[in-house]
Amino acid sequence: MKTYKLIANSDGSVNTIIRIEDNACIPFDPANTDYQAYLKWVSEGNTPEPADE
Amino acid sequence: MAGTLIVSNLKTDTDNTFIVRSNTGTTLFSANTTGIDVANSIGATAITSDKILSIANTKISGNIISSQITSVANTQITGNIVSSQITSIGGSQITANTIANSAIQTGAVENYMNAAGLGFGMRNRIINGAMVIDQRNAGASVTPADGAYTLDRWFVYQFVASKFSVQQNAGSITPPVGFSKYLGVTSLSAYTVLSGGANTVAQSIEGFNTSDLQWGTANAKTVTLSFQVYSSLTGTFGGSVQNSAANRSYPFTYTISSANTWTSISVTIAGDTSGTWIGSTNGKGMTIFFGLGVGSTFSGTAGSWAGAQYYSATGATSVVGTNGATFYITGVQLEKGSTATSFDYRPYGTELVLCQRYYETSRGTASTFTQSTTIAYPVFVVDTTRTSGRQFSVAKRSAPTVTIYSRNNTSGKVSTVSSGADNAGTASTSGISETGWSATVIGTATTAGVGIEVAYVADSEL
Repeated sequence: MKTYKLIANSDGSVNTIIRIEDNACIPFDPANTDYQAYLKWVSEGNTPEPADE
Repeated sequence: MAGTLIVSNLKTDTDNTFIVRSNTGTTLFSANTTGIDVANSIGATAITSDKILSIANTKISGNIISSQITSVANTQITGNIVSSQITSIGGSQITANTIANSAIQTGAVENYMNAAGLGFGMRNRIINGAMVIDQRNAGASVTPADGAYTLDRWFVYQFVASKFSVQQNAGSITPPVGFSKYLGVTSLSAYTVLSGGANTVAQSIEGFNTSDLQWGTANAKTVTLSFQVYSSLTGTFGGSVQNSAANRSYPFTYTISSANTWTSISVTIAGDTSGTWIGSTNGKGMTIFFGLGVGSTFSGTAGSWAGAQYYSATGATSVVGTNGATFYITGVQLEKGSTATSFDYRPYGTELVLCQRYYETSRGTASTFTQSTTIAYPVFVVDTTRTSGRQFSVAKRSAPTVTIYSRNNTSGKVSTVSSGADNAGTASTSGISETGWSATVIGTATTAGVGIEVAYVADSEL
């Protein structure tokens, strides 16, 4: 099962997630198929790990 | 010419023209001091060393040799054209010919092809149809997971993993004439596909490259899929063309009659006038599936469109059903029109760039990042946490998923320039766009001034 972690920019905003199993960085782009898979994963009731402080 | 020429109704010659008309008055042949006109004739057997002004509405089955023809219209030419000059061709069909040492007016063929909506260069909507690019595996065999890409642009769609392997030039057989590479599938067991199962190798085509086909409208264009295929099995094989929503499918079949023999296949598909097809966007325009064993739930009647999710045709051969069975394919071409033209060879560099719109790596032609073989590294000068960015070699279809690697092929890690070892810091990316990205390195070893090397993979496949 894939798990994800949010990544914060230096200004605190979040527009990237990491797929923990392979350290892939996934941008918030609706056309990105990995991001589509992430959204599906979230819609199934899953929650990503929060970004580091 | 066989038959009898009966001369009747003679008239006085006033313009040095000789005319032959049918009994209905239609002009079949005329000649004067400037040339000859042929019209409305069938089976003109040969034209040799003639000067002809025009040929219209005629079928020429013989060769045209050492002749000058000013105009050809609405004519079918099935013989060879040798050492001749044809100034213009319109609305005609030239088939099974050798055209040698002949001159055709510049632009005439292009105009005809364009008028017929066929186009010329870049006819093939399939990328890497000759299977020459393999950025991920560099020719190594892989047992791909569902959705994983094998050779560039070619992915597998399967319900149960590990039933087949994929390798560029698997088995090391001689590729078909004109090709150097092929995609090779090898069955890893004798697996009985469940009714709700599917095993396929497939390619999705971006909407920007299919929208002109106007599928989903009354103006949907016909396409022709052609390829060369080789299998240890014989029989009827299947595949499908499908829309992005997976609710419109066109199953097709083809026959491999001789085992272990390259066979040329051509399948003509009338464009779908129904359903929803992605237009001119960076989304999935359509997907071409080649079935390797598909269950009944996902198999449909060949040769017609269905509002269903089909990956192959009913009754098609299952490659994964035979342990060790092979299925090799290359020269895959999808083009507009009802005729399979010769394979649209593109320069290797062009094909690589087309592939890199969807997948790019800084490791060059190697399949893994290594100390010795990795070719390109962006080198970043650390500013405690944030490093500089890098532009992709080729703009991506969408903002890609980026994975950072060290020189030791460790994902999520970076390398220290001075030692080449994995740095204690970790890396992530930010600011990923279609054209570039920047990396952030965090960790105790990210002292300002320490040189860090970062390798990467960028993936924006459909």
